[in-house]
Amino acid sequence: MCTWVKLYLQHLLWLLDSITTHTVMLVTPALLFHRNKVLNEITKKATHRGAQPSCCTQCLQGASFRRLGNTLSEYFYLLWIWHKALKIIGAEFGTSVLSYFVFLKWLLNFNLFSFLMNFGFITIPQFLAAEPNNLSFTGLELFTGAGYFQQTVLYYGFYTNATISKIENGPSYNMQLAYIFTVGIYFVICFLILLFSMAKSFCRNFLNVQAYSGNASKLLCTWDFSITNEKAVKLKQKNLSTQIKVQTTEGTKLMFLRIAIHLFAWAASLGTAVAACTGVYFLSINNLKVRPRVWALLPSLPCVGPAVDAVTVLDFRNIILKMSIVGILCYYWLNIVAASESQCWETLVGQDVYRLVLVDFIFCLLGSFFGEFLRRIIGTTVCVSLGLPEFDIGRNVLDLIYAQTLTWIGILFSPLLPGIQMIAFSIVFFVKKVSLMKNCQPPCKVWRTAQMTTSFMFLLFCPSLVGVLSVIGVTVWRLKPSEGCGPFRGLSSMYAAVSEWIQTLESYTASKWVVWIYHNLITSELFFFILSGIVLIFAYLYWQIIRGRKTMTKLLRKQIINVSLAFSYIFCIIWLLC
Amino acid sequence: MHQCRLILWNIVLVYENINDSTKSLSLCLRLFYRYRDLAPQLVPLDYRGRPAVTLPYGLIASMPELKDNPFRQRIAEVFSERGDGNMTLDDFLDMFSVLSEMAPRDLKAYYAFKIYDFNNDDYICKSDLEKTVNKLTRNELTPEEVSLACDKVIYEADVDNDGKLSLEDFQHMILRAPDFLSTFHIRI
Repeated sequence: MCTWVKLYLQHLLWLLDSITTHTVMLVTPALLFHRNKVLNEITKKATHRGAQPSCCTQCLQGASFRRLGNTLSEYFYLLWIWHKALKIIGAEFGTSVLSYFVFLKWLLNFNLFSFLMNFGFITIPQFLAAEPNNLSFTGLELFTGAGYFQQTVLYYGFYTNATISKIENGPSYNMQLAYIFTVGIYFVICFLILLFSMAKSFCRNFLNVQAYSGNASKLLCTWDFSITNEKAVKLKQKNLSTQIKVQTTEGTKLMFLRIAIHLFAWAASLGTAVAACTGVYFLSINNLKVRPRVWALLPSLPCVGPAVDAVTVLDFRNIILKMSIVGILCYYWLNIVAASESQCWETLVGQDVYRLVLVDFIFCLLGSFFGEFLRRIIGTTVCVSLGLPEFDIGRNVLDLIYAQTLTWIGILFSPLLPGIQMIAFSIVFFVKKVSLMKNCQPPCKVWRTAQMTTSFMFLLFCPSLVGVLSVIGVTVWRLKPSEGCGPFRGLSSMYAAVSEWIQTLESYTASKWVVWIYHNLITSELFFFILSGIVLIFAYLYWQIIRGRKTMTKLLRKQIINVSLAFSYIFCIIWLLC
Repeated sequence: MHQCRLILWNIVLVYENINDSTKSLSLCLRLFYRYRDLAPQLVPLDYRGRPAVTLPYGLIASMPELKDNPFRQRIAEVFSERGDGNMTLDDFLDMFSVLSEMAPRDLKAYYAFKIYDFNNDDYICKSDLEKTVNKLTRNELTPEEVSLACDKVIYEADVDNDGKLSLEDFQHMILRAPDFLSTFHIRI
């Protein structure tokens, strides 16, 4: 902590110094006017040529946009703390472990955005129309989420269904519409952001890549220049030399053994998953909440030979287990809690999600304690052959995705949940960083960072966001909101607020276009059918273009080889004749 | 107050003339101060007269970001003006801006190629590859293993079958290695 404060102050002092001593004026011409012609030419060619993948991100990467973005991000001084932390992690452990922390920082920014949206559009107006809270606060509410918190802006039940207006005949604020539109627009923005990030990542990391990265790219393209710790460098060099040795002598027996181990692990995990899901379902029916973490105790594959393919490290079994548990809990909430006669079922669901988020956060910290701290103690004192543990990137990222899924589910029922998750993620960042520095050793397995990052984004999009959208969809369209609490009390469904609003708009001539859009575009099935048809046609066209280009590339390669062979034959013949 | 406005105008005017999107004012200032910290008595604060200050390779190689990198000598040689590892401020800025995350892939590929080309003949031939492999593995492999690994690399990556890798072969290989952008990166 002191190092960061020191560096932060140093950077601030540098900048102040440069402004006050006019160093900026003295130095910037030399700094920025370039005399390297090669650099100039290549940079010009790179930014003007369409050499990068021709996705629609080409237009987003105009030079001035990028410059503006870079400048803005560098001048956010608060990010200086993250920058230093990321630099230290990258220096000692390399880009693979760094990708986990970069992903965590990205999720933090996401939650910050959703917290600001919800706080600004829903919570602040609610403060103006708040009812007094008669309950008393004991410290236990922080753990259960019930009690005092029930009558606060934390949960859906507290929000009013009235139209708030402080001034007589002044502007009014319709809470029902605000609530449903804020949540709806937030999810649309999330969907678009994730879709574009995933597409950009996929274009860059998967389209041109061979299925198996050969020796050439392993030797020349994978040396990690950001590692600056002497021990880490030596370790990486040792791993590389072992890999090269094994690759020159690898046989098929080792491969079969690996496949057999994987099949056994899969069968065991699927069995555990089914057992855990049934257990969770029956326990929640009986109103007990238990989070089975048995799968977390299954040890991850140790550093068995350096040629183990890193893609298999990503535990698909973990994903299946977690997603099925979330699915069962959603089913329980939507079918059983919502249909029950309780006074305010949305607040009950919100409390459940709050408790789940809290328990997940505690288990994350405990996982760090047991998986890294105790394992280091065991590895250095009791059983020295085990050695220091490695940072399990796959498992940790899946924990993050699970936590984010819970937050997304809970946004409708507890609008301030992203704020709580933000605090949790910040604590997790620092705890994981400290644990990493003190307990772990740099990874010995090959980890294809770029492709793994794309897979993580894909997981965040496909089972996670899409699943949450379907849950939210079912809640908004089909379920009856509770009678006595919340902004939608008395309506037949949450969506009925929008249809009633459209009906009131029909009587105003100025807003006839809104009504027309609603009836002909949003609620009409024909429009979505046509839209899907157009999207499919474009996707098919792009697919055919890519196929054609691949065939062209193959043909051109063959031509190059033929031409060079032809030349060598001609030289041989000439030499023979002479 | 008048001086502050002058300074700000200066920054805006200079900034608009940047013809290289890999640089930003903040990064350049930081790099200038790091350069100066290496030898405060040699590097003046006033750079208006474009003083001919060159820092010796020994100082550059002592930076914490470079001191354990097995390729530090080649990096310094590639970016220095005379190819001897002694760097002026311009060379220093070029080096760290190419190695920053803002540099485009083509630029990084061009300089990575020059780093691995030990004999500076615009081709990565087998001897260059052998030196690279030895640096990557800390001379732990036997000469036969090194030779075998280099033969495999050339077999895989050589598109025009001339027994050595040209810049185009190297760039073609980079296209198929998506990690390159994140690994050829030094944070400063």
